[in-house]
Amino acid sequence: MTDESKNVFDMDGMRVDDDHLLSMYIDGELDAERTIALAGRLKAEPALRARLTAMEHGDRLVKQLYASPSDSADRDLTALIQAKNVAIISSMSRWREWATGAVAASVMAVVTLSLINEQPSAFNPMTMDKSLAQALEQSPSRAAGWEHLDGERDFRSVLTFPAADGRWCREFLLAHKESHWRGVACRDEGTWVNQVVGSEVFLEQETQYRPAGAGDIEKVARFIDETAADVALGPQQESALIASGW
Amino acid sequence: MASLTTQQRQDLIDELPRLKRFCLSLTSDPSDADDLLQITVERLLEKGMPADAHVAKWSHRVCRNLWIDEIRSRDVRSRYAQSEGAIEGAGTTAENSDESVQLDRVTAALERLPAEQRAALVKVAVEGCSYAEAAMILEVPIGTIMSRVARARKALTEDLEWKAEREA
Repeated sequence: MTDESKNVFDMDGMRVDDDHLLSMYIDGELDAERTIALAGRLKAEPALRARLTAMEHGDRLVKQLYASPSDSADRDLTALIQAKNVAIISSMSRWREWATGAVAASVMAVVTLSLINEQPSAFNPMTMDKSLAQALEQSPSRAAGWEHLDGERDFRSVLTFPAADGRWCREFLLAHKESHWRGVACRDEGTWVNQVVGSEVFLEQETQYRPAGAGDIEKVARFIDETAADVALGPQQESALIASGW
Repeated sequence: MASLTTQQRQDLIDELPRLKRFCLSLTSDPSDADDLLQITVERLLEKGMPADAHVAKWSHRVCRNLWIDEIRSRDVRSRYAQSEGAIEGAGTTAENSDESVQLDRVTAALERLPAEQRAALVKVAVEGCSYAEAAMILEVPIGTIMSRVARARKALTEDLEWKAEREA
């Protein structure tokens, strides 16, 4: 590459070397005059041509590397963004723990729904609807298995406990396609209202379900700790409560 | 400014794939990128943005600031150890397919690039942004984008060639 070849200036008047020229050529950012000049040089200079080929090869690899990001987390984030009237409890502290070497298993965003009746325009598995309310009203808590709800959702009640204000509350899991949610709903004058719903973006297999209090559900567990007036009901107590219509 | 408008929410959803790539270009680690994206979205939902804000620009700025906060808080030795581990791992895949080996090489090479060069390269080479578009999103002059992309390509090319020669 000759000295003359280096005597090229960019759009800000700065002198640029061949690598800058080739880079701009790849990106289609060279003006017509310099494109023609460079094309002539590429024909005549094998080393320059090889450099261009190597750069383009690098580009292809980078594209390939960035081409297939997993989109399951995006679906969860989309639901989170679409859910209006939410108060976000940031998961920053949790991320920090992971970043400094703590165990990383899943990402959790906890949202507290304050106006459940206002439906977002898109389908949102967090939304309290008739089907979910009916499941909360009638389904016993269980340690495994799912109850199918409409809207391609699977439901499992985890436990039932009395709140300090006299309401009955239930912790539950909700699965929708690849997304999993954990929440607490309380029965308020005959209507089930979500209190806390957490999106577990990368929930592990069903067999690895962990009860409230484990690391990635600390926000839901905290809500229960702050709200519950007593320990969770046993199966017989819960069954009797359901049978009595709460 | 407490919450996003319906249009801003939709714009943010549309921006997610690009924002995710930006997170990956900053962190150079898929897990960190997922976490950074999650936290960025949470922050945007929590703090909102001005009604006239450009969603792509604003969200990238929030993301970048969060990542800067994060790397400031991390222990340097811990990061160094992780980086070395990743690079060593990339060099042990000689038995894999040629493509896999090359992707490992480029992963390691990208990790060695400064984050701002990586981000500029991804915007331009992967997402197909013009220098002007990338400059607008990343909030730097066009000439800076040109320079960062060129330097990134140069370093990447030399790194890949060196690695290939060394392993030949």
